[in-house]
Amino acid sequence: MEKERISNIQLFLHLSGFLFGSTVILSPARGAKNDAWLAILLGGAGGVLLTWVYAALATLNPSKTLVDILREKFGNIAGSIISVLYIWYFIHLTSLVMRDFGEFICTATFPQTPMIVVIGLFAIVLVYVVNSGIEVMGRLGELLVPVIPIVIGIISLSLITTHDFTAFLPILENGMEPVITAAFSFISLPFGETVVFLMLFKHLNKTDKLKKIVIVTAIISVIMGVLVFFRDISVLGSDLVTRATFVPHLVSLLIPGLNVEPLVDINLLIGGGVKISVCIYAAARAVSQVAHIDDYRKLTGAITTFCVVLSLWEYENQIEMFNWAEKVWPYYSIPFQIIIPLLMLLLSLRSGKRKSTAS
Amino acid sequence: MVRRVKKPARIKTETRIPAHKYISSDSNLPVPSTVDEVKTRLSEIFSCCSDFIQREISCGKNRLIKIVVAYLNGFVDKRILNQDVIRPILDFLSNAAMNESMSISEQLKECVVVNNDIKEACNMQQAVDGIVSGEALIFIDGEETALVIGVKAPQGRPVKEPDTEISIRGAREGFVENLLTNTTLIRKRIKNPNLKLEMMQLGKQTKTDVCICYIKGIANEEIIGEVRRRLKKIDIDSVLDVGIIEQYISDSKFSLFPTVGNSEKCDKLAGKLLEGRIAIFCDGTPQVLTLPYLFIESIQNTDDYYDHAIFATVIRFLRLTALLLSTLLPGIYVALVSYHHAVIPFRLMITLAASRQGIPFSPFIEAILMIIAFELMREAGVRMPKPIGQSLSIVGAIVLGEASVAAGIASNLMVIIVSITAICSFVVPPLIRVIMLLRFTVLLAANLMGFLGIIILIVVVFAHLCRMRSFGVPYMAPFSPLTSADLKDSFVVVPIWAMVTRPGILRQEKAEGAKGTKRQEVMLNSDVQKD
Repeated sequence: MEKERISNIQLFLHLSGFLFGSTVILSPARGAKNDAWLAILLGGAGGVLLTWVYAALATLNPSKTLVDILREKFGNIAGSIISVLYIWYFIHLTSLVMRDFGEFICTATFPQTPMIVVIGLFAIVLVYVVNSGIEVMGRLGELLVPVIPIVIGIISLSLITTHDFTAFLPILENGMEPVITAAFSFISLPFGETVVFLMLFKHLNKTDKLKKIVIVTAIISVIMGVLVFFRDISVLGSDLVTRATFVPHLVSLLIPGLNVEPLVDINLLIGGGVKISVCIYAAARAVSQVAHIDDYRKLTGAITTFCVVLSLWEYENQIEMFNWAEKVWPYYSIPFQIIIPLLMLLLSLRSGKRKSTAS
Repeated sequence: MVRRVKKPARIKTETRIPAHKYISSDSNLPVPSTVDEVKTRLSEIFSCCSDFIQREISCGKNRLIKIVVAYLNGFVDKRILNQDVIRPILDFLSNAAMNESMSISEQLKECVVVNNDIKEACNMQQAVDGIVSGEALIFIDGEETALVIGVKAPQGRPVKEPDTEISIRGAREGFVENLLTNTTLIRKRIKNPNLKLEMMQLGKQTKTDVCICYIKGIANEEIIGEVRRRLKKIDIDSVLDVGIIEQYISDSKFSLFPTVGNSEKCDKLAGKLLEGRIAIFCDGTPQVLTLPYLFIESIQNTDDYYDHAIFATVIRFLRLTALLLSTLLPGIYVALVSYHHAVIPFRLMITLAASRQGIPFSPFIEAILMIIAFELMREAGVRMPKPIGQSLSIVGAIVLGEASVAAGIASNLMVIIVSITAICSFVVPPLIRVIMLLRFTVLLAANLMGFLGIIILIVVVFAHLCRMRSFGVPYMAPFSPLTSADLKDSFVVVPIWAMVTRPGILRQEKAEGAKGTKRQEVMLNSDVQKD
């Protein structure tokens, strides 16, 4: 288990899949309406910084997982307690993504299927994938993640006739405030969640390029986000973008003479699958480390089952889900995504300095 | 890894005594010292063997020296036995020029018998083994050892073009049942002492010759070691076909995807060996195993390398499309018709509805029925003598094509889909059976969950493929893990003059830094060429 390695390109694809995962459905930046692209750029800049913090943390503490770092910096007991909180955070994140996925499928594609069937089926597949180990996850990502940009390309190109390229004007109609709020949500929704990767970074076979990969990935996904936003807004117009439940789905329905609805499902399944599998893996590894269990595979089944139940239980309806994702989740995540990692980074920098001065 | 399951003897008759049983009683007993005893022992062992021949000859001065010649009729070349073995012995023994200090059999071995392949058997087991594998036994009265002389007659059919793998360009020679002919065919193509052939015997009853073949310096030593280890673990009664070995040594016992390849074509096998793969020959089988076997090899063909690279690339894409279509097409149809009406363009929808009018079955049942009918025809066609095959195809065309539509059992579109599926499945021969089963699974998934089901199934199959390894090499290489140097021979085929390196994934132990390996391999390549 310890020997399992993922390559740079596998990490790159996994991270991009992760960043793109549920933004296919939920785009927290759309609170800023026409100016969401500004919010994406601003939030993206913050997100790149944040991912840099995680990468720096991983390079300063090579071959250590999040749990190891927490224990080292905060002491065994406090570290373990914070680890348990993180485990909860990962599990919660998994269940949220599962719910996003289930909501989408049950609304857009299979209105008559109970959500538990959809989520449960998906979860079984993902347990199989996660139990195959990080190496197999990496390789699977290599095969599947490249499908996402291809699908986005197909949809965007077939929509080229329906574009209205002035739809994003006027700029800053409502002032800066909604942009900043949306940007903040955007930092936390895809980028801050990459804190899960702190459980994975140690499996990278060449750690020297870690920071570069992470930053490149973050920048690429920001660019993708902006492009997709421009596509959406020039096809739908600002009013529809704000009001539509599932923007990419609605966009794909507008292709003249062709219905590519299942392609959006594919994207969601791959992106969401990457995201959920990484989260489950991280949660299971963290539990196994905290509780000193030799093999995380014993835990994946239980953790996933819990996530499935949690995902069905946590919202009453879609409105609540969107509300939560845009208004509560960013603040709920602050300690996990920003405060604790920054604290750890500071502590690692200090101890690194002490080490260098001592030597 | 290899399960030690004892296979039951294939033929179970009352009178049959397991071969190892009689031998276990006197396996290490020395060869009896007098001619009469040897004769009785041999006739006991070979009782009821009508092809067993033993002859006693009295020769020498005054006809005092007795010798016994024993062999299996039809197995040895009698002309060689008489001219090169028995006649010189008789001449020698009747002359007085014998050296008293050496035993007779040693003298025979050293300077009398013309034949090159000559061994001494110290015990009964060796003697009997020699006889059953087609050698002649010669025993001289009063000696401690018997002589076993290889005078095997060449047997089997001549080298022909294999029926299973037809190619347009390239050599027509295919392997035959005789192991030695096969190894010679390979030697003829790779004239290099680095081509190693390691012999071993497998099967307690059949004692089949099995041969591991590789090119030293190109093949990965670790994989060779692993092959040896797995072959040695095989403990069974009979090895009648190389397929039995394949089942014992393949990695994923429960996977339907092949992790060991097989081929009947000499030039294909030579190519595989030169890429660093390992071959396993088995006496009595024209198929030769190649390993490690990766997924990409299913869509590779020797013709690809003999023709222009662009044609080869286009054909590779065709094969890939065929692979996807033959697996997914019926499933996609069922998903479209049962779940995703909105996805079908309006005009097609009208045609579809018209062709489905009056059909009593759901699309799923319809598809299953038609595919089963096709699979039945395929299976019947494979086993049938060639002259009858034609009538089968006529019946099939009428039943599947015309009558089922006219009778209102299947729709026109379904007939088209099943035919396309059928044609496509023949494009990728190594995967035909996997595709067949996958097709049914995809159908089922599509019927249950529509496109979502198909996508989930694809993810599961991909996860399974990514999980698999063939002798330590990831099955989906070079795509995942991505080995950019090996992509030259994947979906895209680069011209043969640009393929300067061997597949790096097969030499994994040195593949830490891909760049280093490349140079190393180029050097190795030139070394081998110099040799």
